[in-house]
Amino acid sequence: MTSDVEAAFLAGSALNSLDNLVRMAPAWAGSWRQRLALKGAAAAAALTGRTESEAQLRDAWYLRAPGADPGPAGNLLAAWKGLAERSPIVSPDRLRRVANLLGLRWSDSLVSLGEQFEVLAGSGQPAPLVAAAIATEAYRLRPDAGLLGWWIADLAIAARMRWPVAVPLLVTQAPGPAFRSLSDRGRDRPGGEGFERAICVALALAATDACRSAGEMAPRAARLNAATRKLRAKGAGEVIQLLLDEDCVSGTLQTKNLTRWGSRRLFERLTALEAVRELSGRASFRLYGL
Amino acid sequence: MVRQTPTEELFDVELADLPPEMRWREWMGRVEAVIFASPEPVGRETLARVVGRDCSLDLLIDDIRDELRERPYELVSVAGGWQHRTKKGFAVAIRRATGLGESDSKALSQTESLVLLCIGYFQPITRAELGQVFGKEISRDTIGHLRKRGFIAAGPRSPQPGAPYSYVTTQEFLSQFGFETLRDLPDFEKLEDAGLLSKDRLLAGDLPMSIFGSDSETSPSEDEDAV
Repeated sequence: MTSDVEAAFLAGSALNSLDNLVRMAPAWAGSWRQRLALKGAAAAAALTGRTESEAQLRDAWYLRAPGADPGPAGNLLAAWKGLAERSPIVSPDRLRRVANLLGLRWSDSLVSLGEQFEVLAGSGQPAPLVAAAIATEAYRLRPDAGLLGWWIADLAIAARMRWPVAVPLLVTQAPGPAFRSLSDRGRDRPGGEGFERAICVALALAATDACRSAGEMAPRAARLNAATRKLRAKGAGEVIQLLLDEDCVSGTLQTKNLTRWGSRRLFERLTALEAVRELSGRASFRLYGL
Repeated sequence: MVRQTPTEELFDVELADLPPEMRWREWMGRVEAVIFASPEPVGRETLARVVGRDCSLDLLIDDIRDELRERPYELVSVAGGWQHRTKKGFAVAIRRATGLGESDSKALSQTESLVLLCIGYFQPITRAELGQVFGKEISRDTIGHLRKRGFIAAGPRSPQPGAPYSYVTTQEFLSQFGFETLRDLPDFEKLEDAGLLSKDRLLAGDLPMSIFGSDSETSPSEDEDAV
């Protein structure tokens, strides 16, 4: 595999590309983050022994009545969506909500995790090491709260890089090859021997993936922008904005100036212009996205 | 400028003028009183209103539990809060004296508790899917009864013809059966490790139905004694 130095260099260079991308703040950044959040939630579900795929998570989230409980897997998605929508600050309330969404028991010791987070994010350490330190801290406080460790590690990277909004990264690599231990056949645990190196490798892989997915999103968003001028529906502007901010939009979206049928026609038109794709592959309950 | 009611002004949460031990006793009393007076589990936010800012609720609760060791009731943590409940050993006595928990109209039947357990493991799941699992149709009444008891709620709609609602369990379910999170369900970890916690595999018939054996820990009358 790699030596520590090599891993650190890879992580640094990948993080730099990602940083440039985040700083550009393109119009489709919301949609890109939500795609990564979906990927992260699928990885988190795999970590907890659930078998929900990305498509199932999407269904659980987008096909529910407003305010309904999307089930335990859907709540994982809610946690990562929340990570990708708000600024990287940890308040005790937010921690408590996330622990609840991740299906973890709350204990008061987790409050100190938030304080530790502030200290680490303000320290001058490089971002991957900050993430490793906070994940280790979470593991030390609560060995059963592995998911929370991943969640807060992603937040720590964003806080250390001074990004306005966090990007779900590390969790997508958590079940992957990065954390396979060099010495024995186990996996690198937080606080263990090779954990910092593993975090660096995972971050390099995740940032590369994120950049690649951004590279796919950019031309699609450009096509959508080009198609926008050809639309005549009254409520089209809102739909375009939603498409750029969200992972996908339900095909029967109703807004103030767009009926169900109107949105259906609009999406058919957009599909004909090749500006959006139907993501679920079904003939009904369609979900459209970039 | 908000005019405070006089009672609010007089209520002192910090108790800074008391010596630490007395302050601690006072906080313990307050917390236990609040939990005692509430019909449902009391959450952390509620309790935080009556104790000082730098008081650790967990330690406080532990101390109260120590005091209650000799008593026939205890503080249990359920559904993200705390509640007074009688100890299990006294179930027989309570039943003998008051008839509570016997042929209670509120008790769940065998089928209902199995359906509830199945929803707990494989949520979100629709009625048709439940029917496939059990090999017979689960009647709307069963689901309706569980909904009326507040154990399940409607989740996302399933992308099938008719868009049936799928069902998910509620906090009330956790509280009633004494679980803190879904992971406390019997054998949850075992299922996870075996990778069997999957609706697809369940519907494909890969699962041994023995996991829903009658020896599972959800006998309906068990926690009805927690009055």
